[in-house]
Amino acid sequence: MDDIDAMFTDMLEEMDLLTQSLETEITEPKPPSNSSSKSNSMQDLNFSIGFTDLNASLNELEDNDLDALMADLVADLSATEEKFAAERGSVKPQPPPAVTVPAAHFAPAAPLAPPTHVPHSAPGAPPPSKPKNELPPCPASNAPNLTSNTSVPPPPAVSSKASAEDVEAQMKADKIKLALEKLKEAKVKKLIVKVEIKDGGSKTLMVDERQMVRDVIDNLFEKTHCDGNVDWCLCETNPELQTERGFEDHENLVEPLSAWTRDSENKVIFHERKDKYEIFKNPQNFYMWKKDKKSLKDMKDKEKELLLEEHFCGTSVIVPDLEGVLYLKEEGKKSWKQRYFLLRASGMYYIPKGKTKSSRDLQCLVQFDNMNVYYCKDYKIKYKAPTDFCFILKHPQIQKESQYIKYLCCDDHWTMTLWVTGIRIAKYGKMLYENYKNAERKSSSLSSVWSNRNLQPSPSTSNASTPSPTPKAKAANGHPPQHHSEPVAKGPSNQSSFPPPPAPVDILPPPPPDPTLPPPPPPPPAWAMPVKKEPNPPRSAPQHSQPAFPPPPPMDFPPPPPLSDDAELPPDFLPPPPPVMGGFMSADLPPPPPDPFHTALPPPPAPFNPPAAAGGDLPPPPPPPPPPPASGALHPTASQRRVGPPPPKRTTPTLSAPSGGDFMSELQKAMQKKRGGQGQ
Amino acid sequence: MAVWDLSVSVEELGAEAPPLKISVTSDLHIGGVILKVVEKTQISKDWSDHALWWEQKQQWLLKPAWTLDKCGIHADARLCLTPQHKPLQLIMPNGVTLRLRACFSSPVFRTVMGICKLLNMRHPEELSLLRPAEEKKKKKQKDEEEVFDITSAPLPTGSIVKLANGMPAFFTESPQMENVYKMLSVSQPALPPETIAKMYRPTSKVDKAQVNSRWLDSSRSLLQQGLKENDKLFLRFKYYSFHDLTPQFDAVRLTQLYEQAKWAILLEEIECTEEEMMLFAALQYHIGKVSTTEQLVASCPAMDDLDSALQCLEVKMEAETSADDMLETMTAPELHDYLKIFRPKKQTLKKYKQFWFTFKDTSISYYKSKEESCKEPIQQMNLKGCEVAPDVSVAGQKFCIRLLIPEPEGMNEVYLRCDNEQQYSKWMAACRLASKGKTLADASFSSEVQSIQSFLAMQRTTPGSKAVQSDDSINTHSLVSPRYQKKYKPKQLTPRILEAYQNVAQLSLTDALLKFLQIWQALPDFGISYFVVSRFKGCRKDEVMGIANNRLIRIDMNVEEVVKTWRYNTMRQWNVNWDIKQVAIEFNGNVNIAFSCVTADCKIVHEYIGGYIFMSTRNREQNDTLNEELFHKLTGGHDAI
Repeated sequence: MDDIDAMFTDMLEEMDLLTQSLETEITEPKPPSNSSSKSNSMQDLNFSIGFTDLNASLNELEDNDLDALMADLVADLSATEEKFAAERGSVKPQPPPAVTVPAAHFAPAAPLAPPTHVPHSAPGAPPPSKPKNELPPCPASNAPNLTSNTSVPPPPAVSSKASAEDVEAQMKADKIKLALEKLKEAKVKKLIVKVEIKDGGSKTLMVDERQMVRDVIDNLFEKTHCDGNVDWCLCETNPELQTERGFEDHENLVEPLSAWTRDSENKVIFHERKDKYEIFKNPQNFYMWKKDKKSLKDMKDKEKELLLEEHFCGTSVIVPDLEGVLYLKEEGKKSWKQRYFLLRASGMYYIPKGKTKSSRDLQCLVQFDNMNVYYCKDYKIKYKAPTDFCFILKHPQIQKESQYIKYLCCDDHWTMTLWVTGIRIAKYGKMLYENYKNAERKSSSLSSVWSNRNLQPSPSTSNASTPSPTPKAKAANGHPPQHHSEPVAKGPSNQSSFPPPPAPVDILPPPPPDPTLPPPPPPPPAWAMPVKKEPNPPRSAPQHSQPAFPPPPPMDFPPPPPLSDDAELPPDFLPPPPPVMGGFMSADLPPPPPDPFHTALPPPPAPFNPPAAAGGDLPPPPPPPPPPPASGALHPTASQRRVGPPPPKRTTPTLSAPSGGDFMSELQKAMQKKRGGQGQ
Repeated sequence: MAVWDLSVSVEELGAEAPPLKISVTSDLHIGGVILKVVEKTQISKDWSDHALWWEQKQQWLLKPAWTLDKCGIHADARLCLTPQHKPLQLIMPNGVTLRLRACFSSPVFRTVMGICKLLNMRHPEELSLLRPAEEKKKKKQKDEEEVFDITSAPLPTGSIVKLANGMPAFFTESPQMENVYKMLSVSQPALPPETIAKMYRPTSKVDKAQVNSRWLDSSRSLLQQGLKENDKLFLRFKYYSFHDLTPQFDAVRLTQLYEQAKWAILLEEIECTEEEMMLFAALQYHIGKVSTTEQLVASCPAMDDLDSALQCLEVKMEAETSADDMLETMTAPELHDYLKIFRPKKQTLKKYKQFWFTFKDTSISYYKSKEESCKEPIQQMNLKGCEVAPDVSVAGQKFCIRLLIPEPEGMNEVYLRCDNEQQYSKWMAACRLASKGKTLADASFSSEVQSIQSFLAMQRTTPGSKAVQSDDSINTHSLVSPRYQKKYKPKQLTPRILEAYQNVAQLSLTDALLKFLQIWQALPDFGISYFVVSRFKGCRKDEVMGIANNRLIRIDMNVEEVVKTWRYNTMRQWNVNWDIKQVAIEFNGNVNIAFSCVTADCKIVHEYIGGYIFMSTRNREQNDTLNEELFHKLTGGHDAI
């Protein structure tokens, strides 16, 4: 019963999405919304800001980004479609029609939807207004990297489709309405964020207000298939101030991004930062920093644990007792003055001239309530700092040079790390430790998955009598399209279809631990990403193209809610690698042919050097994906995510499923444009 | 076997009465002696709590089955039949003096367990008894101190009936008793600053070491340590390692802990910075305020009803707003008023200028006039994440709000000036909520307004104005240590405390208490007990040794700076040479230290180290049973073995 309920809710959400996108189309078929939206009340203003930027940002999006997003959307659509089908009882998994069909379904519903939105839409600017509803305050959107998710252009695919199942749709009209209401309630703000990845690539994803940085990182793990170790960190950089700050896992991503200015050149970067959780890996270096480092080097794990327990598990977190001379940039001047600083839980202090270290004499430099700490780059040149090891403390909203920023400079890199970490502890306290434990859990589960994947090849290939998996995989690298079909189908079942691997996992205990270790996993992950991606694109395609998916569809429907949960959560909740697999297996015992595929993929990694970056370049082989025509080939990025989790995503509430509609239409618009450009 | 006379004095017969002589043989056991004595007194009463005390040997004879011979008692022994539980004046951490019956015959550790059981304080191992400082002058005011007598309580040796909230049932027997419990579990109102200023404050670590000489020995009984009936003792948290603090079970413990922390801060036993002091002051104020209102509500059922009704209403409203955004737009509260604004950033000489202001959601907009408020505002400021500070002088009728609004280029500084208290408290409350991202619709708005008003009222009644001080007003000076009493006038102090207060004003009583303790525990000097020690290896002068829950700290006495720290987990063993009173400790890596304690008996030092190691053996999963044996093993020293 629960399952059904869950499914139903999901459906409603899906419907929102769909209707909304439709609605946008209907209300304003023309894309030129940017200029039109400027007038009106504040809300409009806000909105328009996002809007203008949006266009720019969409234009700037790399092809593969768009493709990825599009692929996600398509997957969403098809998923909904399938769900509908399931609900009806007619579980026909017509994959190909699915994509297009959804549009058709909703076409009738669209009329209903508009009325609800109309009140909100500003008179002058129909297109922008609609998005407004959902994103009342989206001033945050920033140029290239960020876009408020306003929905604009009508997606070609959607509009063109005729009603295959109009009746159904009409029946669902009230539900749609209801869903819309819900959506309005939620009023969830969403941003499209372009995340740069250290290897030069980038991923574009949608982040909603409620998502924590941790969620986004997990999402990126899925997309990039990196090793998922705890050092991976989402950072914001500010070129103007030359700063970088790693977001803490518990922060909401949308909020800090909202502080960026319209013309901001700030970026979100995803890379490994050794200092992120160093404090928990080697607490002695922070809590006993005065001692000889060599003597601390071989501290036993047990002692480390004890240190952590003492400092993080009591009623109050104990901040490292940092003190020492740092340079402070004098307010409004170019000079740097040495001062003796002390860190306390309540803030950062220094000893005024002629005073002692005693607490009562200390002068407070800052308290941390409204301050964040940022690493700085090249301040020797920029501000004539004594060294390049600088950090600043500022209100997150301040984006430019200001007298309200405290500039500090340390003698060496380690001192800087020490202080920045100390300040983070003072500011966030226990939260950091929780974050770390979460991250560790996540990474160990990820690593287990990874190891499984590696192991799979042998068992899976042998077991599953699918056509030569290995070759396919290889082919996938070079030519994603064809092979995809298979993987795609499996996409949903992928995760569940790991049955064979578990056994091997058990047999090979060593692999799981490896993942955590930086050396072994890193290379594979990189490859893994591309590999997966390749299959993904096909995924969307296969669904449609492969009508003969008897096994997959059933799996999708009944289990979707549970499955999805499992699929998404496994890493989080199931630390022990083998068990994880087991969990999945149990879910779907029928080891589908897809498995081999997946398993096959890991081995080929080596050949795939270019995949990640090259995603866009790949020749769009077959035109399987109807909606994203040219871009279909590009899917790799997004599709990758889809492959495994696609169905799950839908169900997960955090994943902004509800608002997807807006951003979807935007994307579609962009795609349209692009297509137009290409055609010419 | 030879029969001989044993003299036993019995307290019940009066101090002057000659000791009773009873004929005994050497193989008579102690129980038999007691029986004989009791028969001879011809007093019929419950003698079950009585035991024999051997005066010359300062020893209890607690084993009834042992014979006189086995105990080594001969005809010259003077024994005394006396109750094991005697009244004691116990000064609690919050300054309240209780008169209660404590066990004089068991080791102090067990006595404290009994006291804590009586008072519903869990984890008695963290507390101990402290002798009062020797009073140089005889104070005649002694009688003024009120003593609350709870000797009627059952003896802790039996089982004590407890209510659901852990409150021992005997406290409900009479209103007086109930009152006592309330005093224990609710923080006490602040004392006038003059009183605080007169109290003893340690000024150096050497001073702080003095207090530690007064701890009683946990392994010996009260009577053995020379305490008599009705003596005064302090009950204090001794080990700064508070296990499993759970507000719902620990009402008394939490309150007393808070009081001890509060006094440590007010009397500068632990140092803090000015910013920290202001936060402590704000929390104290808040805790004081919340505690009184809680009492008030409890004593007035009608109010109670009203309160809950209001709360229901609030909840309902909230639910509705979230359920239907239509309602939200209809009822979104706003503020409108003519206020004056001043921006110091623009360096003009312009003073405050009047505009029509509206406050909506988290933003302030202003217009030329009320009539123009339908047009575009001159400016709109979103206060989310901004800093709000009061700039108020009740006497000068100045009610300004200083806003530091973050913007990409820096902070935008704005002053808003209100005409009167009413207006000010509303706008101020709105600004504060907005800075935290809450809107006027937030349920806390009205309480925020109220708290601002009450704080203003405080300023109004400060001594500066020489107004009659009503009982319920608090002098801000009594919230800070004398150092800051001297440094700042109340006028200056109030806004600073108020500033800190805005971050804590919404805390519940429990949260506020916990927060106070948290900040206290986060102070760098927290939890260190000092001792002056001598003859550190290779060092001739005296030094200070700090003992904390996880480490030993060697501190230079003159500069008061840490020289070295040793963590317990690197400790291999420690020994006490009881003859020369020296503590020797060996750490990993062949590090040996040895010292003798100048300011306290080395048993106290030994007990501290062993005690902390004992505390660290407790863990979360363990149940409440206390491993008494282990404690004595770790802290007992030679006579325990």
